[in-house]
Amino acid sequence: MNKTNTALARLGSTGVLLLTLAGCAGLAPQSSLEQVQQQSAELTGQDSLHWATEQDQPPVVRERIAELLAEPLALESAVEIALMNNPGLQARLFDLGIADAQRVQASRLPNPGFSIGRMTRGSEVEWERGLHLNLGSLIALPLTRRIADGQNAQVQREVSLSVMRLATDTRIAWYRAVAAQQSLAYSEQVLQAADAGAEMAHRMAAVGNYSALQKAREQSFYAEAALSHLQARQEQVASHERLVRLLGLWGEQTNFTLPERLPDVPAEPLDQPDIEQQAMASRLDVQAAQQGAERLATNLKLGKATRFINVLELGISNNSSNEEPVQRGYEITVELPLFDWSGARMAGNEARYMQQLQRTAEVAINARSQVRESYQAYRTAWDVAAHYRDEIVPLRKRISEENMLLYNGMFIGVFELLADAREQISTVNRYLQAQSDFWVAQSELDLVRFGPVTPSEANSASTTPASPAGGH
Amino acid sequence: MVSRRDFFMGAGAITAAVAASSVSRVSLAGLPEPVIQSSPETMAPLEPNTGRPYKPVVTLNGWTLPWRMNNGVKEFHLVAEPVVREMAPGFNAHLWGYNGQSPGPTIEVVEGDRVRIFVTNKLPEHTSIHWHGQRLPNGMDGVAGLNQRAIPAGKTYVYEFEAKRPGTFMYHPHADEMVQMAMGMMGFWVTHPRDAHPNIDEVDRDYCFLLNAYDVEPGSYTPKIMEMLDFNIWTFNSRVFPGIDPLVARKDDKVRIRVGNLTMTNHPIHLHGHEFEVTGTDGGPVPRGARWPEVTTDVAVGQMRQIEFIASDLGDWAFHCHKSHHTMNAMGHDVPTMLGVDHRKVVTQINSLIPDYMVMGERGMADMAEMQMPLPENTIPMMTGDGPFGSVEMGGMFTMLKVRADQPAGDYSDPGWYQQPEGTQAFEWTGPLQEPSRFKSEASTGKPAVEVQVRKPTGHSGH
Ligand SMILES: [Cu+2]
Repeated sequence: MNKTNTALARLGSTGVLLLTLAGCAGLAPQSSLEQVQQQSAELTGQDSLHWATEQDQPPVVRERIAELLAEPLALESAVEIALMNNPGLQARLFDLGIADAQRVQASRLPNPGFSIGRMTRGSEVEWERGLHLNLGSLIALPLTRRIADGQNAQVQREVSLSVMRLATDTRIAWYRAVAAQQSLAYSEQVLQAADAGAEMAHRMAAVGNYSALQKAREQSFYAEAALSHLQARQEQVASHERLVRLLGLWGEQTNFTLPERLPDVPAEPLDQPDIEQQAMASRLDVQAAQQGAERLATNLKLGKATRFINVLELGISNNSSNEEPVQRGYEITVELPLFDWSGARMAGNEARYMQQLQRTAEVAINARSQVRESYQAYRTAWDVAAHYRDEIVPLRKRISEENMLLYNGMFIGVFELLADAREQISTVNRYLQAQSDFWVAQSELDLVRFGPVTPSEANSASTTPASPAGGH
Repeated sequence: MVSRRDFFMGAGAITAAVAASSVSRVSLAGLPEPVIQSSPETMAPLEPNTGRPYKPVVTLNGWTLPWRMNNGVKEFHLVAEPVVREMAPGFNAHLWGYNGQSPGPTIEVVEGDRVRIFVTNKLPEHTSIHWHGQRLPNGMDGVAGLNQRAIPAGKTYVYEFEAKRPGTFMYHPHADEMVQMAMGMMGFWVTHPRDAHPNIDEVDRDYCFLLNAYDVEPGSYTPKIMEMLDFNIWTFNSRVFPGIDPLVARKDDKVRIRVGNLTMTNHPIHLHGHEFEVTGTDGGPVPRGARWPEVTTDVAVGQMRQIEFIASDLGDWAFHCHKSHHTMNAMGHDVPTMLGVDHRKVVTQINSLIPDYMVMGERGMADMAEMQMPLPENTIPMMTGDGPFGSVEMGGMFTMLKVRADQPAGDYSDPGWYQQPEGTQAFEWTGPLQEPSRFKSEASTGKPAVEVQVRKPTGHSGH
C-alpha cells in the first residue's frame, strides 16, 4: 500500500506540475497586436492599430478620423485613417485572436481519462477505478507548444504584412487620386485653350476671315479636348473612390478634399547597393518560410520521439472490493507496433519538411528578385520623372517662350500659340504622370523590403496620350 | 578700312576662323594686300589718286575697293570668305561675301582700263566670279566648268581684261551659284566713261546698291539657301530699313542712282516727290530720245537700272520698292487675318493660359509697329523705324532721299529730319464741313444708292 500510495502521490504531483505548466500559457491577444504594431510601424510610421472589439467605433477613433478629414487629406493622414478604419484590416486582425487561442489550446494537457467499474461476484462487490493519461501527449507537450508558438508568430507576421500592404495600397491610391485631380485641372486648361481657339475661329468665320474648313478644324480640336476631359474626370472619380474604399469611409465622410499637388520628386534617387541583403533580413515572408521549415523540423523530431511513446498509455488502478483489501496498482497499455511502425507518418513528415525547404528557397529567390525589380522600377521611375523635370518640361517651356516671341513679331498667329499652349499643358501633365509613377514605385519599394510586391501599376498608369491633336 | 593684319586682331577674326581653307602668307606674297572692311556704314567716295581720273560713286552702306597700279594695270584683290553682315543694328547674318562684307566692295574703273583681279578663295568650297555685263575674253567670263576650272578652296586665280564699255555692272559667283548668291556673294562694278560721253551726264551725286533677298529664320543667323521665292529679308546691299542709310543731296543736285537686282523677283523701285529718267541699263547708256519720265522703275531679275533726276524739292522723300511686302522685315506668311475679329472674352481666356498674350491684328498690322514687344533674338520687327511724326511702319527695301538746301557738296552724312515750313503739312480738319459743289443730277441726301454693310472698327478694344 505504501508503495502504491507513493506512486499515486508521485503521479499526482506530476499532474499538478503539468497543470501548472499548462496554466502559464494564458490568452494574450493584445500582445500579438503589439507585436504586429511593432513589426509594421517601420513601414507605416503609425501606431494607430487597435481592435474594433465593439460593434461601434470608439468615440476617440471617430473624432480622430473626423479631425483628419476636415483638412485636405495628407498622405500619412490617409494611412492613419486606413489603419484605424479599414474593415478588411479589422477582420484580419481577428486572426491574431484566433491564433492566440489556438496557441493556448495547444499548450494545454490532454484531459486525463477516468474509468470506474463495479463488479459483483455473489455477495462480493468489486469497484475498479482508473485514471488514464496519454503519456505521448505529455512527453510531446513542450514540442507541441513550440510548434503552436511558431504558428502564432507566423500569423502575426502575415497580419503585419497585411497592415503594411494596406498602408502601401493607401499611399498608392492617394498618389493616384491627387495626380488624377491635378490631371483633371490640366485637361480643363487644355479644354479652355481649345475653346478659345474654336471661339476665335467662329468669330473669324463670322467676319469672313476664315473658311468653313478652317473653322471646322479648330472646332475639332475643341471636340477632342472635350473627350480627353471626360476621360480625365472619370479617372479622377475612379481614383477617389478607390481611396475611399481603402479608408473605409462612407456617407458624409467621402466629401474630403486632397492637396492640390503631388510632392516633388526628390532631387537625387536613393542609392541602395545592399538593398538585397537588407531585404533578406527584413522580409517577413522569408522569415515565415524559414520558421515554417524549423517547425517542420521540430515536428519531425517530435515524430521520432513519439514514434513508440504515442502508443503508450499509463493508467492508475484502484480496485476495491467489500471482501478484499483494496487492490492498488497501475497498468500500462502498450499498443503493439505490429502493423504500424509509424514509418508512413515519418516519411510523410520528412517529405513535408523537404518540401518546406524547397519552398523556403523559392521564397528567398523570389524575394531577392522582387527587391531588385522594384529597385529597378524605382530608379527608372526616378530617371523618367527627373528627365521630365530637368529636360522635357524646361525645353517645352523654352519653346513656348520662343513661340510667344514669334507671335510678338507676327511670325506665327494666335492659333499656333493656342496649339502650343495645349502642347505645353499636356507635357506638364505627362510629367505629373511620371511623378505619380515615381511615388508609386517608391511605395512599392518600401513594401518590397517586407513582403512580396508585383510591380504592376507603376507602368500601366502612364498611358496618357502623347499630345492631343497634333496642332498646326 | 583696316588692313588684313588689323582685321585678324579684331572682331572679324571670327569670320576668318570659320573660313574652311587657310591661305598661306607665302602664297600671297607679291599680290596686292587685300583690304578688308569691317564696318557696315556708307563709306565716303574713294577719290582716285592713281590711274585715270573719274568722279567716284557712293555705295549705299558699302565701300569701294582700293587698287594698286602695276605697269599701267589696275590690280585688285578680292577675297571670297565667310562674313558677318550687320543687316540692321541688333540683327546679324552669317553670310559669304568678299573682303569682310556682303555685298563685296564696289569696283570702280575707267573705260579702257586694263584690270587684273586676284581672287582668293577662302570659302569651304570652290567658287568663280562672273563679271556681269562686261565685254571680255570668253575665258575670263567666270562660268565654272564652261570658261574655266572653278577656283578650288585655298587657291588664288587671276582675271584680266579691259574695261571696254562704260556703265553699271556687277559681279557674282558662277559656281554653286544657288548657294553662293543665297549666301550674299555679289558686288557692284562701275566703269566710268573716259571722256565726255553724249549719253552719260556728269552728276553731283552717284549712288549705287544691289537688291538682294534672304530667308533668315527669326532667331537664326544663316540664310536658308534652299528658299526659292518665300524670302523674308528684302535688302538694299544686305541692309534692311531702318538699318539703311538715306540718300542725301543738296537742292538742285543732279543725282544718279544705280540699282542692280540679284534677287529672284522683280522690284518696282519708286521715288517720291520727283520724277526721274532711266538713263542706263547693264546694256549701256539709254539714248536720250528713248528716255521717258518715271516715278517707278521696275528692276527685273538680273537687271541693272540707272536713274537720274534733279533733287529739286526739299524734304525727306521716301524711296523704296513698291511691293508692299518688300518693305516689311521678317514676318509669318501664314498668319491668320485677324482684321475685324472681335476678341472680347476670348482674350481673358487666352490670357489665363498665356499671360503675355496681346491682341494683334484685330485693327490691322499697325499695332505691330506701335507695340514694343520682345522678339526672338537676332531679328527685327516686321515694320519699324521711327520718323519725326511716329513710326514709319516700314522695313526691308525702304530708305529716303533727303534733299537739303545747305547740304555741302561731297557731304553724304545724314542731315536729320526735315523741318517742314509752316502751313505745308497735312493737318486735322476741325471746322464746319463745306457744302461741296455738286452736279445737278446728284441726289441731295448724300446717301449712296446702294448701302454696303461693313463692320467699322470703333476705337481700341481689347487692349
Ligand atoms: Cu521689291
